[in-house]
Amino acid sequence: MTAAPPHDHLHREVPSDDPRVQLDEAAGTFEPVPPYPPRTEREAEFYTLGDGEMFINMGPQHPSTHGVLRVVLKLDGENVVDLDPVLGYLHRGVEKLCENADYHHTIAYLDPLEYISSLFCEWPGVLAFEKLLDVEVPRRAEYIRVLATELNRILSHSLFMGWMALDLGGLTPILWSFIERDEIAEMLASLTGQRLLFNYLRIGGVNGDLNHDFMSRLGDWMTRATTQIDNNLGLLNQNEIFVRRMRGLGTMDKETAFRMAMTGPNLRASGVPLDFRRAHPYSVFPELEFDIPTRDEGDCLARYLVRIDEIKQSLRIIDQCLHNMPDGPIMAKLPRLLRPRPGRAYAAVEGPRGQYAAYVISDGTDQPFRMRIHDPSFVHLQAVGTLMPGHLIADAMAVMASLDPIMGGVDK
Amino acid sequence: MDAALKRRLQARFGERLTAPIHQRHDQTEIRIGPGDVPDVVRTLHDEADFRFIVLADLAGVDTGSVMQVVYHLWSETSSDWLRVIADGLSREDPRVPSVTFLWKGAEWMEREAYDMFGITFEGNRDLRRIYMPPDYQSFPLRKDFFLPDDAARSPGAGVRHMEQSHTPTNAKAATLIRKTRA
Repeated sequence: MTAAPPHDHLHREVPSDDPRVQLDEAAGTFEPVPPYPPRTEREAEFYTLGDGEMFINMGPQHPSTHGVLRVVLKLDGENVVDLDPVLGYLHRGVEKLCENADYHHTIAYLDPLEYISSLFCEWPGVLAFEKLLDVEVPRRAEYIRVLATELNRILSHSLFMGWMALDLGGLTPILWSFIERDEIAEMLASLTGQRLLFNYLRIGGVNGDLNHDFMSRLGDWMTRATTQIDNNLGLLNQNEIFVRRMRGLGTMDKETAFRMAMTGPNLRASGVPLDFRRAHPYSVFPELEFDIPTRDEGDCLARYLVRIDEIKQSLRIIDQCLHNMPDGPIMAKLPRLLRPRPGRAYAAVEGPRGQYAAYVISDGTDQPFRMRIHDPSFVHLQAVGTLMPGHLIADAMAVMASLDPIMGGVDK
Repeated sequence: MDAALKRRLQARFGERLTAPIHQRHDQTEIRIGPGDVPDVVRTLHDEADFRFIVLADLAGVDTGSVMQVVYHLWSETSSDWLRVIADGLSREDPRVPSVTFLWKGAEWMEREAYDMFGITFEGNRDLRRIYMPPDYQSFPLRKDFFLPDDAARSPGAGVRHMEQSHTPTNAKAATLIRKTRA
């Protein structure tokens, strides 16, 4: 009698009538190399393996890809040599949908672009329509817009904080930041009626005035917001593992940042104080006082810290909005059916991830002739192609998380 | 500020502009031929008079008769928005030189314009579809794109009607029902 070979249990025979086996066969194997000839030289070069290299398919259902992104990684051992992000799993064709909706309806289509910062997706579209129509927005509406969007910015940044830690293997911060996030979501729900997709901004104003429920929640939260956020930050800022892993990782200098068409916190972390709220003011930002936090290092830690500093500036802006809130109407007088004169308008706002913009062409009918939506996540995600190679897989995920892409915005 | 920019642009690119400079709100708009894109954009990017170093957006446009590529630039020194329209691309074979030599970040935006409009950016190293599947045949944001027909040509068909540009097949029946009920 011979002894069973070691690890024999790993190669045990499975009866072929087991339905689970058929399930396995039906699913097939997911090969990273596409089953068609390469379309470009770059694709051919990427899908040719060098000596000792291998492919790994990450996603489309992978928790650290922030949605449904598929990344084909070319690895040498555990080092990332090259990568090929594959997009389109969440493509809804929002631009085409907008071209087939009238001006008021498009706002609802803009919302789900980025389900973390919906108000910032609505704003450039609404601003561009207002430029086309030459509408004067009432000052109270402008203040309410700033108030609501700055709350949304804090919501987005506190979620970023949690995700960032989650991608580095820390579970606690995301649970803590969801407390913060939920309070703001509840607050905005009492203002707009929705927790996630607010659909709040209107052409010429906002949908509803400030109400008692919102104001009492906001006042209550503002008294403890600073302490609460500082508590959350203590988890990470004083965490040696976190700080050491982030420092010097995925460094991007100023010139590269401009070449990669970066905007927002990712650009400011490379030492460029470009913030469209100051650089090209819109709404009531010229009347408000706030600083533009920048960092010179350009690494993951700098990108994280810039966002943390922005939370504090947002709190300052909200405070000023509450003190200076003027009385008056919240909507400009506009006809129900809008037919702007033929023309073109571009509007950009500074969101939590960078420049959100819309380019609208009107042909004089009640539907936009062309509605181009620019989303910062889409532009920033392609920087992983230059930042990831050379790092370990685990660090590469941290690089991607520090750019803070949202797949809804990437795929439009 | 804007008037000064208009003068500078007129002086620098006078003979290359295919239409008068147009200004509305905070934006200035110039139109050039597709062949002039690399030169004009490089000048706008490099020269101390302009310094349009931020590529804010790159979009394809189908006007129904011609194709356009629209660049939105932002100047570091004068805080101006500039819209550069590369006008008059043929709808049969739209071609324009790529700007990836200045902004590597334009690569995906050009891929998107290729995917949605079929515009070929000469010099882009990786011009393939970005959103739609590789076996997809049509260009969805073109004005002659009609979902039921064009999407069905692609193997991954099964897209529902979206555009109401034809009468629904059951329109007559619905009217009849309404009449009989009344």
